[in-house]
Amino acid sequence: MHRERLENALFRTGYLAILTFMLLPLAVVVVTSFAESGNLAFPPENYSLVHYRAFFEEMRWLSAFDNSLLVGVGTTITATTLGVTAAFGHEIDDGRAGQVLAPLVLIPLLIPPIILGISMRVYFVRAGFEASYLSIILAHTLWATPLVYFVMRSVFSRFDWQLLDAAKDLGAGPIRSFVYAVLPNVKHGIFVGALLAFIISLQEFVMALFLSSRSTETIPVVAWTEIRQSLDPMVSVVSTFLIIISLIAIVIATIATNLDWLSKQLS
Amino acid sequence: MSEITLAGLEKRYGDTLAVEDVSVTIDDGELLCLLGPSGSGKSTTLRMLAGLETPTDGEIRIGDEDVTDRPAYERTTATVFQDWALFPHKTVLENVAFGLKMQGIGKSERRKQAREMLERVRMGEYADDDPMNLSGGQKQRVALARSLAVNPDVLLLDEPLSNLDKRLSEDMQIELREIHAELEETFVHVTHDQDEAFTLADRIGIMADGNLVQVGEPNEVYENPKNRFIEGFLGDTNFVAGEVERTTTESIHVETELGREVDLPTTGDADALAEGESVALSLRPEVLSIESTDVAGSDGNAEGEQATPVRTDGSTTNAVVGTVENVLYRGSTIRYSVAVEDTSVFVERTVADSGAFDAGDEIRISWDGADVLAFRDDGSRVDL
Repeated sequence: MHRERLENALFRTGYLAILTFMLLPLAVVVVTSFAESGNLAFPPENYSLVHYRAFFEEMRWLSAFDNSLLVGVGTTITATTLGVTAAFGHEIDDGRAGQVLAPLVLIPLLIPPIILGISMRVYFVRAGFEASYLSIILAHTLWATPLVYFVMRSVFSRFDWQLLDAAKDLGAGPIRSFVYAVLPNVKHGIFVGALLAFIISLQEFVMALFLSSRSTETIPVVAWTEIRQSLDPMVSVVSTFLIIISLIAIVIATIATNLDWLSKQLS
Repeated sequence: MSEITLAGLEKRYGDTLAVEDVSVTIDDGELLCLLGPSGSGKSTTLRMLAGLETPTDGEIRIGDEDVTDRPAYERTTATVFQDWALFPHKTVLENVAFGLKMQGIGKSERRKQAREMLERVRMGEYADDDPMNLSGGQKQRVALARSLAVNPDVLLLDEPLSNLDKRLSEDMQIELREIHAELEETFVHVTHDQDEAFTLADRIGIMADGNLVQVGEPNEVYENPKNRFIEGFLGDTNFVAGEVERTTTESIHVETELGREVDLPTTGDADALAEGESVALSLRPEVLSIESTDVAGSDGNAEGEQATPVRTDGSTTNAVVGTVENVLYRGSTIRYSVAVEDTSVFVERTVADSGAFDAGDEIRISWDGADVLAFRDDGSRVDL
């Protein structure tokens, strides 16, 4: 065999082995969710859907799903709006303010979430809306905005800004020129940024733990408190649902970003 | 009325001065070319006219209105961009109809008008195409149609032909002239290509280092350049360094690096130059005639360099003898680089002219003193 091909084959095998090893826990989670017994054991002795039935009868889990969805959508909307407009503003006016903005936006990502969680709890109690959806949404926005911002910076850096000039020149004001000339050309980037914000919110646990109450707790928070009481397959059921949601999100993102490519293939 | 007045226009980016002082009045219906090397501030001036940049000082008036602080979308100007800036997510027709859409014109009406404009630039059959699939020349036409569709008072063209190949660019120049003649609108065209400027312009404005140096009709700026920069920028020329030896009421005698005194006849102020002042003389290839020294020497004059031949009309000519160093074929013309004393001068001949020379040949170069322009050390032109 040619040496280069041999090296390639070895690299691929090694890569695949590491990937499989790291993804195996997910398989364990999915398999244990189908266990019949009430104990979390792998492999399960008997298989059934009993825990799935229990999940749909358990109000706490169902409301946690609603909460996670609500917080996720709220975070997505605020973080995307803030991140996109910040990156757009930075691109248009690259002055002193812009140079300060980039590192400033990054700060929330550098502070451990546990510290953010505690300080925000204190802050929101003073402000008078602790344990509300709003407090969790704001906390998650703090994390998701920088990610959207950096995604959009990279998207905007590839955008041909002469198109904005052309739109203005033809009579489109600041808002219409953005909507007609910029937005259609960066919508894939915005979608990816928004999806990132949603996933960040969906999986964030530490800040949500500090900021939620019994009525606003999200899925990771419920999972944590449940595991502390008993390690039963219900956690696996919830995890399986989360894995499915993430997979769906990735598939949607892939399709959305490749729509142009797809449409060219089909036409 | 769409007469444009620029008064003391300045644009500063931090410490950089992109445009220092541009003042000019552009007549209604005129086609003005702003010509200058890259970095001379011509595109910035155009963008300020479009409203895409705000001047840091000065005033812009279109017609009777002061539009200095008015944004692009509230101005009656339309720009054709260098890279055309067609909207990639819209069809050709939608691109052309965009400005009309912004004006609030209904869908069927704006599509009808856009289609007419596309027909005018002979792009009607491409109405439903993706603009990204068009060739450069086709994109150019669509961009032109898009800008003309809004019926602007002033059309601004920012080097729109610089990305086209020579042939296509020349065709488009003729078409632009025709469209300009037909529409009777004011056009401001920015270019770094002097041939383009000479072909298109009613008047040419020459820019250098952020300043509008000279504005005039093409032949005026070519024959009567204000300073050395313009003389060097418009076409090729030989600059010969020299020093004024003596002045009389009829002529100025300059000792040059050609190893020969050059006489400049003067009709005006004999004190235009002081004795001892250094000057640069511009000898354009088209004012230089060349002939073989064999022919010139046929009347027995072997030392042609010393002679002051008298032409048939009686005017004195200056002449030097040099050796051909290089022969450069440039299509329709042949350019000879000729070593004369310590310097080198280039001269041109059309291919049709009889008698080609080879490297090593000795030739006589002669000119009429009245065709020579002189410039002072600071670049200003000497008024002879």
